[in-house]
Amino acid sequence: MIDADLMALFTTLKMATISTIILLLLGTPLAWWLANMQSKVKVIFEAIVALPIILPPTVLGFYLLIAFAPQSTLGQLWLQLTGSPLAFSFSAIVIGSVLYSLPFVVQPLQRAFEQLGDHYLEAATMLGAKPLDRFFSIVLPMTKASFITAASLGFAHTVGEFGIVLMIGGNIPDQTRVLSIAIFDHVEAFEYAQAQALSLSLLLASFVLLTLVYLLNYKKVSR
Amino acid sequence: MTELLINLTSKKTPTNKQFSLAINQRIENKGITGIFGPSGSGKTTLLRAIAGLEQHLQGEINFNGKTLLNTNNKIFIKAEQRNIGLVFQNSRLFPHLSVYENLIYAQKRSKKSTLNIDKIIVLTELKNLIHKQSQQLSSGEQQRVALARAILAEPQLLLLDEPLSALDQRNKGKMLTLLIKIQQQLNIPMLYVSHSLAELQQSADRLLVLAHGKVIDYGNIHQVIHRLNEQPTDINIHQQTSLALVVKQHDKTHGLTELQLNDQHSLYMPLLNAQQYKQGNSLRCFIFASDISITLQEPFNSSIVNHLKGKITQVSMSTNKQAVLLAINCVQHTFYSQISLMSYKKLNLTQGLKVFIQFKASAIKTLTNSTTQNHIITEENGC
Repeated sequence: MIDADLMALFTTLKMATISTIILLLLGTPLAWWLANMQSKVKVIFEAIVALPIILPPTVLGFYLLIAFAPQSTLGQLWLQLTGSPLAFSFSAIVIGSVLYSLPFVVQPLQRAFEQLGDHYLEAATMLGAKPLDRFFSIVLPMTKASFITAASLGFAHTVGEFGIVLMIGGNIPDQTRVLSIAIFDHVEAFEYAQAQALSLSLLLASFVLLTLVYLLNYKKVSR
Repeated sequence: MTELLINLTSKKTPTNKQFSLAINQRIENKGITGIFGPSGSGKTTLLRAIAGLEQHLQGEINFNGKTLLNTNNKIFIKAEQRNIGLVFQNSRLFPHLSVYENLIYAQKRSKKSTLNIDKIIVLTELKNLIHKQSQQLSSGEQQRVALARAILAEPQLLLLDEPLSALDQRNKGKMLTLLIKIQQQLNIPMLYVSHSLAELQQSADRLLVLAHGKVIDYGNIHQVIHRLNEQPTDINIHQQTSLALVVKQHDKTHGLTELQLNDQHSLYMPLLNAQQYKQGNSLRCFIFASDISITLQEPFNSSIVNHLKGKITQVSMSTNKQAVLLAINCVQHTFYSQISLMSYKKLNLTQGLKVFIQFKASAIKTLTNSTTQNHIITEENGC
């Protein structure tokens, strides 16, 4: 593996790790809110969360590109806060990944929270447990498997993305050049051996990760 | 100040058109208060409102001088801050924790922590179960753990929502005995919801009767049961005489236990377990009105061991006009006898007439020796 590819691997892992952490922090309260929402408006939010599953990544990438542009409000605000433009930066691809992988984290968590119901939470409440205490002492341990599933899917999906990163990240080595783009570059340059090495390793790593996720769910169901 | 003041009405919501609750009641906060009524009468809603788990109600709840709810002043004390415990119908033990961890969960969150966990484990007979997972326990064991867990949170009031309904007959008796023992030893006031009058007759000091979301009666357990006999309401109970009598002696030779009615008079019932029902202790028992018969002369040479002289104080016709319920005052106790219209006419019975009542030893029942449990209450119109 050449240095540029190692760098792409490192960028990919960094992007996926940071995105997964943000996804869990944002996705958990969002999933909780959706799971407990009684109003019919819920379906609209569910549809919004699910959009990235069916939308071509380029559509999301296109709108993000407009939102991140230096002339845009968000772009201006980002420039003032950080001193550097948002478009074609590492931060941009992290934000893109978070939006793109949101359903893969929110949906398993929402299902888990809905299945858990409020029986055990009411019991904990009657023993004096406050909301945050209830989350950490009841919800988290009882939906642990779903959190692992959500984190794994979010991570894997982020590693696998291409379209959004290309549109809002460009292809800047050490910044926004991730594995999927590196493969594309190798193919474009007819470097099939390098493309093969990267593709195969990505394929195997994804397969192992997904097998572990399904194994975990299998255990949960058969228990 | 040890009282619970409740003034609640249900909010009208689009999803809640049918059911309405309108309760304005002061409940003494000591001993065991039974809340009785058919399914759908509002028992569980009332209990959940007191617990703080029910949001769709308006009005006030005041507990020992402290306002828990006042919708006019927008006061709502959160359930976890009310210091009220709740034992659910299904035990709701945390499945990811062992029995012992479930108990520790409650103790860690107790505001007082004055109870010794080991003592409670002994008291609730959980010693052999503490390292098990809740899924490994029988339903009776699960409810005992749920009870121990609720106690360890040291609530000022313990709510029990049909705590015996998932248990078989043998475990029902055991659990009820345990509940009464815990109430007496730890002196925790309890509100006990049940649709089984037998359970409440055995345990409660007072009874609150609900039907269609409204209070029908409240007062001393025996008096309320007797009033339910006499007044035709939405709740049709198995008409009965409810008694609390002192165990005088266990006569093993003749297989009878003697219960003291007063200095001169005793009643006899099938021999009870002397270990469980100690001499000198009070025993709750009931006699179905259909098991008591009337004679005009004093019976003698009869196999029926219990007979008493008394005076008819009230005569009431059953709704279908096929049976007559008589209230008979014998030795300062009111007994209820249900006889056929034919016998009523044949004996020419009237209010004020002196008669003899008689019933077999086996007619005196407690929850543990009764084999006719399922027939104690018949519910009509309640659901």
